[in-house]
Amino acid sequence: MATAAARLRAGAGAPPALAVAAVVTGAAFAAPLAYLCWYVLGLGSGFVELLRAEDVAGPLRRTLALATSVSASAAVVGTLLAWLAVRTDLPGRRVLRVVAPLPLVVPSFVGAFALVAMFAPGGLAESVLGIDRLPVIEGFWAAWAVLTLLTYPYVYLPVAARLAALPPSLEESARALGRRPAAVFRTIVLPQTSGAMSAGALLVFLYCLSEFGAVKQLRYDTLTTAIYSARVDRDVGLSLSLVLAAAALAVAAAERRVARRRVLTEAVAPAATTLRVALGRWRLPAVVFTVGVVGTALVVPVVVLAHWTVRGLLGDAELHAPDLIRPAATSAALGAAAAAAAVAAVLPLAFLTTRYRSASGEAATAMVVTGFALPGLVLALALVYLVLESPLADALYQTYGLLVFAYVVHFGTQALGAAQVAVGGVPARLDEAARALGAGRARRLATVQLPLMRPGLLAGAGLVLLSTMKELPATLILAPPGTETLATRIWGATEDGFFALAGSAALVLLAVSAVLTYVLTIGPAAGSRS
Amino acid sequence: MAPPSAAGSTRAGARPHGDAAAPGAVVVCRGVTKRFGPVTAVRDLDLDVRPGELLALLGPSGCGKTTTLRCLAGFERPEAGTIDLAGARVAGPGVFVPPERRRVGVVFQDYALFPHLTVEANVGYGVADRGRRAARVAEMLGLVGLADKARRRPHELSGGEQQRVAIARALAPDPAIVLLDEPFSNLDAALRGRVRAEVRDILRAAGATAVFVTHDQEEALSLADRVAVMHAGELLQVGTPAELYGSPARRFVAEFVGDADLVPGESDGVRVVTALGTAPVAGDAPRGAVDVVVRPESVRLRLDGSGIGTVERITYYGHDQVIDVALGGGGRVRSRVGPGAAFHVGDRVAVQVVGDVVVFPAAGTDAPRR
Repeated sequence: MATAAARLRAGAGAPPALAVAAVVTGAAFAAPLAYLCWYVLGLGSGFVELLRAEDVAGPLRRTLALATSVSASAAVVGTLLAWLAVRTDLPGRRVLRVVAPLPLVVPSFVGAFALVAMFAPGGLAESVLGIDRLPVIEGFWAAWAVLTLLTYPYVYLPVAARLAALPPSLEESARALGRRPAAVFRTIVLPQTSGAMSAGALLVFLYCLSEFGAVKQLRYDTLTTAIYSARVDRDVGLSLSLVLAAAALAVAAAERRVARRRVLTEAVAPAATTLRVALGRWRLPAVVFTVGVVGTALVVPVVVLAHWTVRGLLGDAELHAPDLIRPAATSAALGAAAAAAAVAAVLPLAFLTTRYRSASGEAATAMVVTGFALPGLVLALALVYLVLESPLADALYQTYGLLVFAYVVHFGTQALGAAQVAVGGVPARLDEAARALGAGRARRLATVQLPLMRPGLLAGAGLVLLSTMKELPATLILAPPGTETLATRIWGATEDGFFALAGSAALVLLAVSAVLTYVLTIGPAAGSRS
Repeated sequence: MAPPSAAGSTRAGARPHGDAAAPGAVVVCRGVTKRFGPVTAVRDLDLDVRPGELLALLGPSGCGKTTTLRCLAGFERPEAGTIDLAGARVAGPGVFVPPERRRVGVVFQDYALFPHLTVEANVGYGVADRGRRAARVAEMLGLVGLADKARRRPHELSGGEQQRVAIARALAPDPAIVLLDEPFSNLDAALRGRVRAEVRDILRAAGATAVFVTHDQEEALSLADRVAVMHAGELLQVGTPAELYGSPARRFVAEFVGDADLVPGESDGVRVVTALGTAPVAGDAPRGAVDVVVRPESVRLRLDGSGIGTVERITYYGHDQVIDVALGGGGRVRSRVGPGAAFHVGDRVAVQVVGDVVVFPAAGTDAPRR
């Protein structure tokens, strides 16, 4: 990026076409939130009365209670696992580093379903373990447990990367200055990782605010379930949505602030040989903890889903291949369309923000980030009423086009991040060399820049594809009638009690997203996700 | 080139085991060996560091100099040998004192300033006595000339300032010895010369005993009171810069410290005959075929149409120039001449070596002979 920085200093003016494209992109990403604010604030004092009448305080309190407790427990679990994996002599730590982030693969509604299905009549608990008094799995603690197990990787990944990048010389200096290992951990290691920890915890908080599938299944009423129930009442649905959106945007802003501060106060070693702590007599408890957490988060859901799938195949329940293949194909097609559209939409913005200093570029980037922070349910509902209210756009209602647009707005930031890295990775020198050889703008783009950016752009597209396939609430609201994706198929089958169908569809979804996640995130994250 | 005294050359050489340490030595290493798996990083090292001196550990990368430093600091535990620090055993059979109880100051290559702490909190980090901390921090920051930067964060300082904070932090707990690992490699060339002098002045003003690691022979010679040359895990020679340069004990030292060309010759124990003429050899020189160490500044050139050498290349430095000369009988030597000397590529020149020379047996053992 050094050459790009040189360009920034040179203050080269951005080509007008790029600036215009960025403004259009930013406006499109901002549209749902802008409409939501405009409509709800248009209600005036009606908004406040409405919230009072709907008793928003209860769901809001439950949402915040869940988000706070899950963030705290995920922070503890994720940090502890990261420390064990990176800084100790834990047996099997290499394996741990590969599997610890994998719960990212499991969509929350699948995790919740697995828990419910395990203790359902005919499930694993009854038929294999022989438990005959089945507990009722629902409420706060069930949601807390499922979400903690599924979200700790958001803390684990940045903290592990941080611990691996911490220069050993910091701790060695502290030792040489007379501090014992415990004091070194308290005064150096913890302050140096707290930024990564809080950034991860805030992402978990945001995840919990937007969470819909798991809390609905586990009957813990939050703002999202309230919004979903009120979705056909425009005033109530949008008013509740604005409350949730405000909370989410505040958390996203806090996350950005933490990230900015981290740049200045964290030391990063270029290629650190990390210091290892011998666990000694803590070895066995550490192994039990690690196997317990990762096993429960990964193995138990897979076994439960496989159990129901096998029951279905053996004929206890109906299971037909087309029930899986059609939704899988739809998911793949929608995901691919969203991925391609997202990359195309953010590429001009990536050029603008990486190569030039541009106020419109920064504003548009903020809008793209906002699209991610906005809970999917809120985004979908705002889009529905936005198009219904616009005389020219109402034909978009219940079309694939609107659904893909929603995906692009929701996951565009993943494509933008990857595209910015890809653009920054092409040295401006190469562009200048091609220019000196007489290549015009289009030829330089086609022959120099795009080929060099291809791996980065594909990675960004892959992240969008992965997220799209796991997305539930926006798909539920926006998918054209009769369209089923893997996610909505699992959801519908769960609601209707077709556990075999839900289990097998969930297994397919897990397999696809495990492969995508491994290729896109965990491999590269091994060293560079800080 | 005056031959060194006999006493000087023994003191300069590596010491056999069990030899008495210099009186009052701050560090006494005997037979220190450190292995990493199959690799022996440091082999059987004996080294003394005297109070108040600045000692350089010099060698190419991978020679074991940083490992030696880390053994002194307590970051590595040697497999064999003993280390005494300020009169107390810190490593040896059944003994290992962890770094936090050794009273060593360490300045890392990357400075390792704590980025989440201010400059004064960094400097005060190692001062155990809270009551004395503020005064000591002020004293140290005054010593390194950064009293006005106490409230800054490390990232707000320049590279040179960060290094001075690191030194202040290492000195603040009043350590028995300060260890510096490649202290100047993170600074750009323009800054390096000035910072070296500053660092030496600071260490002198604090009366500190210090060991620094470097791969830069010029840095070692210009900065250190004594230089210890290491190669492939072994300590080859310890001596003052002049001793190392004038009387290298080993062929490696001759070639690594300063510029040198090796010219084949025939020795009778008193004089050596080479293509460049005859030169006196000091002391107990080997007989027979030898390699002669020729320093560029002891090579004189004279334009001579029937001379033995041909000028191959001229590298001009301003204050002087180095002339590469191909010798008729094979081989080449370099000559350092004044900036005004007018040679041209292709000139035939007569070559003469002035002063005493150091010789090593031509092939086989690399034993110190002269």
